[in-house]
Amino acid sequence: MKQLLNWIGKRVKRLDGPEKVTGALKYMTDFHFENMVWGKVLRATYPYAKIHSIQTDKAKQLPGVICILTHEDIPGFNGFGIVVPDQPVLASDIVRCTGDAIALVAAETLEIAEQALSLIEVDYEPLEAVTDAEQAMSAEAPKLHPDGNIHSHVKIKNGNIDKAFREADIIVENTFYSPRQMHAFIETEGGWGVMDEEGFITIRCPGQYAYRDRMQIARALAYNPERIRVISSPIGGAFGGKDEITVQIYLALLAMHTNGRPVKIHLSREESVIAGIKRHPFKVRMRTAAKKDGTLLANEVRAVADTGAYASLGGAVIALAIEHSCGPYKIPNVNLEGFCVYTNNGISGAFRGFGVNQVCIGIETHLDMIAEQLGLDPIEIRKKNVYHQGEVSSMGHVVKSSVGTFKTLEAAENCDLWKNRNQYKKEVSEPWKKRGVALATSFHGIGMGIGLPDYGAASIELLPDGKFLVAVGCEEIGGGNGTAYAQVAAEILNCDISKIKVIQGDTSKTLDGGTVTASRSTYTGGRAVATAAPNMIKLLSNTAAVILKVPLSEIKILRDCLAAKEEILSYEAIYEYLYIHHQPTKVEGHFLLPKEKTEIKGSGGAPHHLYGYLTHVVMVEVDTLTGETEVLRVVSIPDAGRVINPQGLEGQAEGGAVMGIGYTLYEDVIIEEGFHKTKNFTDYIIPTIRETPLIETFPVEDEEQTGPFGAKGIGEVVMIPIIPAIMSAIYDATGARIYHLPATPERIFNALKEMKKQNIQPSR
Amino acid sequence: MLVSEIEIITPISVNDCLLLLSKNETEHRIIAGGTDAVVRMKEGKWRPSAWINIKGLKDLRYIKEKNGAIHIGPLTTHTDIIHSPLLQKRADVLVEACREVGAVQMQNMGTIGGNIGTASPAGDTIPALYVLEASIELQSINSSRIIPINQLFTGPGRTVIKPNEMITNIIIKPQTENEIGIFQKLGPRKAQSISIVNVAIMLSMASNRECLGGKIAFGSVAPTIIRAKKCEALLSLNPLTDDIIENIAKVAWKEVMPITDGRATAEYRRDMASALLERGLFRLMRRWENK
Ligand SMILES: Cc1cc2nc3c(=O)[nH]c(=O)nc-3n(C[C@H](O)[C@H](O)[C@H](O)COP(=O)(O)OP(=O)(O)OC[C@H]3O[C@@H](n4cnc5c(N)ncnc54)[C@H](O)[C@@H]3O)c2cc1C
Repeated sequence: MKQLLNWIGKRVKRLDGPEKVTGALKYMTDFHFENMVWGKVLRATYPYAKIHSIQTDKAKQLPGVICILTHEDIPGFNGFGIVVPDQPVLASDIVRCTGDAIALVAAETLEIAEQALSLIEVDYEPLEAVTDAEQAMSAEAPKLHPDGNIHSHVKIKNGNIDKAFREADIIVENTFYSPRQMHAFIETEGGWGVMDEEGFITIRCPGQYAYRDRMQIARALAYNPERIRVISSPIGGAFGGKDEITVQIYLALLAMHTNGRPVKIHLSREESVIAGIKRHPFKVRMRTAAKKDGTLLANEVRAVADTGAYASLGGAVIALAIEHSCGPYKIPNVNLEGFCVYTNNGISGAFRGFGVNQVCIGIETHLDMIAEQLGLDPIEIRKKNVYHQGEVSSMGHVVKSSVGTFKTLEAAENCDLWKNRNQYKKEVSEPWKKRGVALATSFHGIGMGIGLPDYGAASIELLPDGKFLVAVGCEEIGGGNGTAYAQVAAEILNCDISKIKVIQGDTSKTLDGGTVTASRSTYTGGRAVATAAPNMIKLLSNTAAVILKVPLSEIKILRDCLAAKEEILSYEAIYEYLYIHHQPTKVEGHFLLPKEKTEIKGSGGAPHHLYGYLTHVVMVEVDTLTGETEVLRVVSIPDAGRVINPQGLEGQAEGGAVMGIGYTLYEDVIIEEGFHKTKNFTDYIIPTIRETPLIETFPVEDEEQTGPFGAKGIGEVVMIPIIPAIMSAIYDATGARIYHLPATPERIFNALKEMKKQNIQPSR
Repeated sequence: MLVSEIEIITPISVNDCLLLLSKNETEHRIIAGGTDAVVRMKEGKWRPSAWINIKGLKDLRYIKEKNGAIHIGPLTTHTDIIHSPLLQKRADVLVEACREVGAVQMQNMGTIGGNIGTASPAGDTIPALYVLEASIELQSINSSRIIPINQLFTGPGRTVIKPNEMITNIIIKPQTENEIGIFQKLGPRKAQSISIVNVAIMLSMASNRECLGGKIAFGSVAPTIIRAKKCEALLSLNPLTDDIIENIAKVAWKEVMPITDGRATAEYRRDMASALLERGLFRLMRRWENK
């Protein structure tokens, strides 16, 4: 039975829409102050080198320089990192990638700061860089960190893999290579730091978890965290790339040396390319076995992830990848293993999808290959193998939360593009072009998994003008979670959405409610608001009962007001009463996310309790003369549980699809011998509006009982199955399989050329 | 030279500008739309002591017919060219090339003079200018000369333009009724991309698919733009049926001398020279038949 709802499920306009669309909103890096100074970071000259000495005298003498800081100026712990703080704030004796910071400068102008950088003399002893993850795993490779180059190793084993492969009717085996994707947010890393006369430090810097950023700053500064305020929202895009510390600690260090003047750091695109975190390139070898009827029997996976110089979230990424490496299917026999490996190739870390992108191309491609060899329909084989709620997944655990895969596959089967695909495929625009249609499905864990505390918190404050200030730690990263919070609050408080104000990402104004990552912020923040709102209702009605001198049971919660008998009481009146009587006007809501009880041995945190699911159907057209691929149509079928805001969901589905297109066809940060060949957006190719196809979004709503109004999360899976779907559609069109992403025109052309040479006819 | 130390001088007339250039006491450089100049300044590659900002010289922004030729002022933007009815009719290949430059913002700011001045082997308007047999007028304070476009460039980023000279006119031969042109570009994506290979083709047609002759100019496959003379010679041998087109296109890879860079390997570029010529001729024939 569905309740009648006023705001949930409605196409509510983004609260922050107008100011973003008109450009009225100032992002933090847009600000300038009269007495400001500029900060710059000296990066390493070599990907791997010993530092013998750092001389700053000349730089200090340059007129206009305010301070130059090195590792010697770090009052606290010289390191950061979300899981293992293995990345030095400022390198002292060794550099492990060209993104390593060695010194900080504050100066009167940006130009002087840049000049000062060139006057800092670092005496290096270059070492031979470790540039290949598998080479890094070998015994001969130099050890980049004291414990060796394998940062983490996860393993999941189930059933009897050898027996299953022996008894299988069909086995496919392939190796897949995935690119080093860049988040390519519009706003590069940057922000402000200022220290007031009392030594209170304010850092304004877009981030994905203000409280954790504050903790990392405090640790490096050996400073009372209560004396640091971090404002982390709004953000000009992050996608995981601002989950880790970006420049917050540099800002804080510089702010301590600028006599109270605000200091700004804003990375150029070129610096962001070198120093910013990227998506882990993976090499995935996969072997999959099935029976004649298409039932999956076994899957063997070996994934190696290049995490670059430091761990950041690399360990968690490989763990999530392995947890998802078998897709949303029930494969009884699995042997899965993943390595997260240090090299001198920049730094990899969190990025929308978090390892699932890299592995889903394996299992989904294999399903298509098996289906083709057995003459099965790609939807049939998937329907046959998916797990349903209450069934055992390939991880060997019973999935108790909502599972929408089957429904998404049914919706795919019935969508126009799939039903009429043969007709659409014929409608090529020129004779040498070929079209293909394919689909793929995937899933993505929501929240932190086992081993990490995961909680949500929100506060609601009644304001003098009768509005409610909803405060949630999770930042507005661009996805529209703030609007979702307002909808949840307005729904429960029974008020118009215009009565809700939302504030996010500010340690002085919002409670610690965890990260805006892991597809968790709608679920977590929404549920936190839904936990706090009844407390506000309680506060309102108790106060109303006192004001109106009636028993609580007679108080009615009406739209935008409260009432008893004939009398109506406005929120303003209630505020006034509370204010005069010095009573609190703010309530809080806290909760712990549901978790699985037992961790799968060796898995590094699997399984998750909640997953979002999604199926993509795509049509591509390949120009066989040049190898260019155009994605013409995308159908995105998410299971996000109950959809809080269809418009917001479409925004995620469309943005995710385009990001997935970029990953599959265009994007890669090229690093050779530890040096970046990719410099900026001239050579890092992301899709433009001309590469953006028609994207349709058809949600199936498999409601999650524990979620706010049945919602789950969708922020990441929206970019995942489209990757193998495009790869398979290229195959459907041309007969060429690409195993090495991105599938650039050159790679596709060469595959076609190879087919011609071997005289292979396209299969269809 | 620091960016903040670079002077900006804005001449008020062409003559004023030429006078400034003639002094050439310090290292000056012209800036028109700035879409190449600013990028290279930021990269530290172009740091003149002064920018001579000619963007306001209205006298250099024109498209006009004169003595059977079309004159295009160097400050004409790509957008101006795209919207010119005259050029749409008599120089479609140039209009198409301008449409492929960057995206709308770049087309609004970037000028044809700047595209020539940068002398990139990947510059998109240059192959079109080759097949339109463009001549470039270079003026200095006391002289003026006209250089055929195929003599203007000496290598990547290098031209015969002297420090005291500037481009003041671009003269092209308009297409006749039976001439049709096309510009084909392969970039890493559809908009905002530098050509991996590009080609401008202009054909003079008789009836049906009979071709009287034509010109083919490739970009991004050699140190400068190059004409594909062998392919051109084959154009008029047989009617341009699909088979013949394929055969002519195959010859293209022999005419190019590409290099490997971040965008593509030399081998792929070679293959693409043929592919773009083939695609271009196919498309041209279809257009011709629908004309
Ligand atoms: C994002 C982006 C995308 C781009 N995409 C493309 C593309 O797809 N295809 C392409 O071809 N180009 C592209 N460009 C390059 C550039 O936009 C074009 O080359 C443009 O035509 C340059 O014109 P401009 O007026 O901006 O030149 P400017 O930058 O002002 O000048 C360029 C050079 O020409 C010289 N110059 C200018 N006018 C004269 C003159 N009258 N006489 C003598 N010398 C002169 C200058 O001194 C300078 O050396 C792109 C640039 C950017 C930034």
